[in-house]
Amino acid sequence: MTAVIVASNLSKYYGNVLGLNDVSLEIESGVTGLLGPNGAGKSTFMKLITGQMKPNIGRVTVRGGKVWNNPDLFRSIGFCPEQDVFYEDMTGFEFVAGLLRFYGYGPAEVRERASRALDTVDLSKDKDRLIRGYSRGMRQRVKFAQAIAHDPDILILDEPLSGLDPLGKRKLIKLIKDFRNEGRTVLVSSHVLPEIEALTSRVVLVHQGKILAQGDVPYIRELIEAHPHMISVRSSGPRALAARFVGDPAIQKMTFAPDGRTLVVETHKRDDFYGRLTGAVLEGGIEVEEISSPDDNLQAVFEYLVGK
Amino acid sequence: MNLKTSTRQVFAFFSFLGRKTGKTRVFAIIGLIPVALAVVGRIVLHGRSGDMAAVFTEILMVFFLQFYIVILSLFYGTSVTAEEVEGRTLSYLVTRPIPKTAVIVGKYAAYSLIMSVIVSVSLGLSFFVLNSSRLDRPAIYTTFLGYLGVLILGILAYTAFFTFLGALLKKAIILGLIFGFGWENVIQYFPGSTQRFSLVHYLKSLLPYRPTTVGGGRGVALLLFRLEPTPPALAVTMLFLIAAVFLVLACLRFRTKEYLYED
Repeated sequence: MTAVIVASNLSKYYGNVLGLNDVSLEIESGVTGLLGPNGAGKSTFMKLITGQMKPNIGRVTVRGGKVWNNPDLFRSIGFCPEQDVFYEDMTGFEFVAGLLRFYGYGPAEVRERASRALDTVDLSKDKDRLIRGYSRGMRQRVKFAQAIAHDPDILILDEPLSGLDPLGKRKLIKLIKDFRNEGRTVLVSSHVLPEIEALTSRVVLVHQGKILAQGDVPYIRELIEAHPHMISVRSSGPRALAARFVGDPAIQKMTFAPDGRTLVVETHKRDDFYGRLTGAVLEGGIEVEEISSPDDNLQAVFEYLVGK
Repeated sequence: MNLKTSTRQVFAFFSFLGRKTGKTRVFAIIGLIPVALAVVGRIVLHGRSGDMAAVFTEILMVFFLQFYIVILSLFYGTSVTAEEVEGRTLSYLVTRPIPKTAVIVGKYAAYSLIMSVIVSVSLGLSFFVLNSSRLDRPAIYTTFLGYLGVLILGILAYTAFFTFLGALLKKAIILGLIFGFGWENVIQYFPGSTQRFSLVHYLKSLLPYRPTTVGGGRGVALLLFRLEPTPPALAVTMLFLIAAVFLVLACLRFRTKEYLYED
């Protein structure tokens, strides 16, 4: 398959701060998820491939064409920025229609396309309200509407699901999948693995301006599974509970927290541990107050991958 | 889209948006100050048309020429780029199939039009209030159009300069204030060719030299002190040239500069 977006040895610095470091990536049609914690370099990458910034080193092309100062390219690109910013004095319709005029459509087509895009994101009823009066979810949806209104082949979405309620998220995920099914290219960023997982199985992990790993979601899951998990169990009898796990091959390490009531377990087999925990608690008559997994998050996986 | 069509679309977008912003409302309200002064002048100087003409000259020179068009151009001109960067809305413009030059030229044209309308209304009301007894004379309308033309020329030249400043610098407004109310005010009192390094010199060269001692005329005499006017044709050419040069420079800067949001 031919790559739609090609980044070669891309580096971007903000003064002494490293935004992106020697990133080479080929993005094909379908949905690709850019996954990384805040400040990882996802937005920098997206700004570089949408010509909002120039790379210090390297080259980026979209469909073989350079992106910086190449406005014709944007006929086929739809971009949804991360920032919650708008021309607040406009209504949703005026905003989408106003931006559509930059594609050279006639007034009737502008109206038709704007109405269709707003209808797609369920904003038809509120299209004549000022954007400054929109809720966070509505603002996120109108931002998406302006990105799809001109029917682009390539959609670049920077944290599009942030601020949406579960229903809004589900609807947007369906829309993005519809785009994929039509053979288009979607690059979507997020710092939440389940969000990306719901959209695509093709994931690029970005951290500290570098690509840590890329592959499908099961591969990323494997990386997570390979990462030793810390699980804290606060109970009435932490030492009795620990005694029940001594010799358990699923356990790597056990320590007691300073409060004297919390057992901290480190394991590679999280599910096995949880399975045995229930039995141990019941058999020992131990009263469990709280179970938490302090490092069961994406940040911990990234830290694990970079060898911290 | 070609440059002409893109510029027209940007112009349409921002002339629509510009009309709705709070900034436009505030400046339109400020434009009522000379109207109020004209009404007061009309009441106080009832029947003394010569004095009323002098009051209007004061308003024209002090309020419109040295304050209103400068402050309007400063805020609208620097905001051509700055409001997009500070408001982070630049992403919406530079990811469209329009040349960056069209963004600058279209927005400049839209804002110049808005400012011209605001100034026209304010100038027109104050002028005709003070000259209401002479509305039957055709010459009064020619005079008004002449004054308006000079102010619009000023708007075009100042706005182009401030647009360039906004495209070039992050905090252009501070330097703009120093230029508009420092340099422009001071340099015009310098004798010889030094005063030609100000925009206001060319604007004043287009206005009738009317030092007077009647009523508020002393202020005008002071403002025009040592003016060594440039011939009108040359002054108009210079103002258009200044506008064109700074607009081109603004476009070149905007095309090549990478604007980063503060985060």
